[in-house]
Amino acid sequence: MSDTGFISELQHFSTGDGPGIRTTVFLQGCNLHCEWCHNPETIPSKGSVLQYKNGEKKISGTLMTVQEVLEYILEDVDFYKASGGGVTISGGEPLLQPEFCLALASACNSHHIGVILDTAGNVPYEAFKQVLPYIKTIFFDLKANCPEDYKKRTGGNFDRIVDNLKQLVEDSADVVVRIPVIPGHNDSLDYMEKYVDILLNCGIKRVDLLPFHRLGSSKYTALGRDDYRYKDIKTMHKDKLRPFISILKDRGLDAKIDG
Amino acid sequence: MGNLQLLKQEMEENRSLAQGTDVADYYMFLGYRSHYREPAVVAKGYAIASLFKEHKKYVYENDLIAGSLLGRRVPEGTYSQAELEYASRVVSSYGRNGFHTNFDHFAPDYETILELGVGGMICKIKDSLEKHQKAGSKDKKINFLRSAQITMEAFSEMIFEYGTAAEELFLKNGRGNLLEISRICKKLAKNKPDTFHEAIQLVWLCHLSFCYEKRYAMALGRLDQYLYPFYKKDTEAGILSEERAIDLVSCTLYKIIEFKYMNEENTNLSSSDVVNIAIGGVKRDGSDAVNELSYIILEAVKNCNIPGPNLSARMHANIPERFWDKCLDLIGTGIGYPALMNDEVNIPALFRMGYDIEDCRDYSMVGCIENFMTGKQAPWSDGRFNNPKFLELALNNGKCMMTGVQMGIPTGDVSEFTCMQDYIDALEKQTDFAADEYVALFENENDRYNRERLSQPFLSCFCRDCIERGLDIRDGGAIYPSAHGAACMGIATVADSLAAIEKVVFTDKLVTLKEFSQILENNFEGREDIRQACLQAPKYGNNDEFVDKYARWFVDKNAEIFDRYRTYDGGRYYIGIASNITNIPAGLEVSATPDGRKKGKPLSDAASPMHGLDKNGITAVVNSTSKPDFKKVACGTVLNQKFTPMMFSDCTKRDKLKTLIKIYFQKGGQEMQINCVSRAVLEDASVHPENYSDLVVRVSGFSAFYTKLDADVQKDILERTENE
Repeated sequence: MSDTGFISELQHFSTGDGPGIRTTVFLQGCNLHCEWCHNPETIPSKGSVLQYKNGEKKISGTLMTVQEVLEYILEDVDFYKASGGGVTISGGEPLLQPEFCLALASACNSHHIGVILDTAGNVPYEAFKQVLPYIKTIFFDLKANCPEDYKKRTGGNFDRIVDNLKQLVEDSADVVVRIPVIPGHNDSLDYMEKYVDILLNCGIKRVDLLPFHRLGSSKYTALGRDDYRYKDIKTMHKDKLRPFISILKDRGLDAKIDG
Repeated sequence: MGNLQLLKQEMEENRSLAQGTDVADYYMFLGYRSHYREPAVVAKGYAIASLFKEHKKYVYENDLIAGSLLGRRVPEGTYSQAELEYASRVVSSYGRNGFHTNFDHFAPDYETILELGVGGMICKIKDSLEKHQKAGSKDKKINFLRSAQITMEAFSEMIFEYGTAAEELFLKNGRGNLLEISRICKKLAKNKPDTFHEAIQLVWLCHLSFCYEKRYAMALGRLDQYLYPFYKKDTEAGILSEERAIDLVSCTLYKIIEFKYMNEENTNLSSSDVVNIAIGGVKRDGSDAVNELSYIILEAVKNCNIPGPNLSARMHANIPERFWDKCLDLIGTGIGYPALMNDEVNIPALFRMGYDIEDCRDYSMVGCIENFMTGKQAPWSDGRFNNPKFLELALNNGKCMMTGVQMGIPTGDVSEFTCMQDYIDALEKQTDFAADEYVALFENENDRYNRERLSQPFLSCFCRDCIERGLDIRDGGAIYPSAHGAACMGIATVADSLAAIEKVVFTDKLVTLKEFSQILENNFEGREDIRQACLQAPKYGNNDEFVDKYARWFVDKNAEIFDRYRTYDGGRYYIGIASNITNIPAGLEVSATPDGRKKGKPLSDAASPMHGLDKNGITAVVNSTSKPDFKKVACGTVLNQKFTPMMFSDCTKRDKLKTLIKIYFQKGGQEMQINCVSRAVLEDASVHPENYSDLVVRVSGFSAFYTKLDADVQKDILERTENE
């Protein structure tokens, strides 16, 4: 039912998920499998268990009602107000549970709390349509600039994703495209130029670049997975993104480094 | 970089001079033995004079500010063991002051000496002496003033001798800075300072003299306020640059490390001196007090990068954004300073203790965080009140579970208690009685000695209105009576314990209170199930009213109790929610507690949630720890929080941290001590993850606790943000 969501994690004091001090609601379940994923525990739709070396165990995937999540969110109302913050719904892919997102965002709005939706966009547009009236800003991940890479690296449908992006702009949604910059994949000037072609074509004005990190590596081990390709790739220094920011800005985009 | 770098090197090279025999006592002895026939207070004056006179006046070649503690040491063997013991015996006979007899942890009145100069201070003493003689005042006042005069005249000669020492060095190596030191010291021996350089030189020599008297934790107080007129005049006249001012302050503060050189073998925390400097805040009229010097001091402390200068920033509702930013910048370097104090809580808290509102606005801190009426009150004292112990006593009819000693009063067998309130009543009674004992024992110490004999003639010159009144700082000279702080330990241990009792005994009814008491007495042996239930009960720091209400009670109750008492001269007892590191030894004396803590283990630290049990992040900690009414906590509070460097290096994230702290203060939080964990600390986190379980990493769309990250990845946090 729309009233209940399958939740991976709730997190107060998120500082990288939008403006101000935010609370992030991580939903469980994702229909992509990005090679560099830092929240692998959120992928299985049935939930997962993280078993750490020190004996600690964490369950990812609990049923929670809108009311329960809202109670958690409301604890930090003073912080949202004072910092221009709010709630970010993320995951996993939150739009796999569009009714829940709608219900939660609507409940937040009735408490004057703005909601950002953080999505990879690989869902039918109907899912967007449902939630749009209650969402302040969409953070839209653009993981690659061509169908081949999209399929190879993430399993996602490039055409559908880009169509969704275009449609969102046409429907006057406030969209910020988020590009995770991954070594060996999309960290070149040429690749970035092609990204810009797509963005301009879609009518996108704002882009955030997110530098690669491997902070999620221990989660793979805790899940019993040994297929994390980026284990030995060092975290990217923010400065490495400056040339890419220049390209984006030169071509008229409002670009910044986030993360 | 100015002189600081060279000074650091030179001081390091001369470190061995800090070893050897300490001769402070010996020099005082020389003064006493030549004046056995004088009244004790006068003999003391001569003893202090001897201390100022006899010590070797070291001057560093690269320095800008004279005054070194090295004169307290002489090579081993200079005096025989027999001589030293003899001297020590005489000095002891005249009485030794200590922390509990208002000896140190004091913020002097520097304003007056800067205004009058040493010569002017001597005149002031002489004038007062004459007045009192004419008025036929009691002998003790005449003797006190004679003694003050003796010490101040010796202080004057001491300053001149530092000038001579600098001049001798100058004649050897021709360095301009030494000539300048010489000129300044010779001038300050009699005259008041005119320039910033002269002013800070005088302040340092005063502070140094207190250190020669073996006083610990002497504060420099509101350095950015009383030095400001000099700074302003010089910069307007174009004779002082910002860089030069930073260098002067740095060279002054860096010498605080000499104390550490002298106490190298001391492995506990007090191997470093704790010199509190309070910048920012409001002026006496309530307006913002931040000025250019406030920023200069931040820069100087950063340059010094040593633990001794305890920089504290007083924040208020209208403090400039730039000041917030600069404070966070400094904290972001990993130095741990400044501690952030909330004027909006501290000023009302002090006002509640009966001081004039303007004086409250002028407060500074001594030691780490202890609020103090600058230059108007006898030195500070405090003690530790072991609140968690009373949990045990209330469960055991007043008997210590560890030793069987009847430490508390009989409050009834718990099998007769039928509800939570019955237990709270017993706990309150135990706490009341323990406070009576605490105060009685403290007063025995504090009031043990004849105050006329155990005088402080030099220090009293730095407290209003001792000279005018002809009275020692402890004998009615100070404008305000002495205060004492009862540091109430274990707020989280107590709150968590009460919540556990309410949950396990009275709500879930897993065991009776009597059974529970026995389980605790047996240190949970054989009842791990109950211990787990206790650990699962709500914990302070997670924004859960079930337990937070007890933290509120803790502050209310302790404040109510200590409001009843007065010190020997009618002063107030404050409470503090702080413990230094004494939560560890205090824990050794406490049996297993209802929160699930085992016998002998550390109590919770200061005002913080129990280590590792705040599981909902910093906003929950802020929500919880702002619920108690800290306006009842006049001494002060310590809340330690750790963050990774990422929180500081990214402007956007830094702004969010700033907002968080502002909200904390708006909600009534009193203090925050922020640690930006440095590389060294992060490496320690790999070795001792249990101490860093609350360190979180915040990246877009990701969450983790630092200690859950892979070892090589933990360093990535630094890689990501450190400048090449």
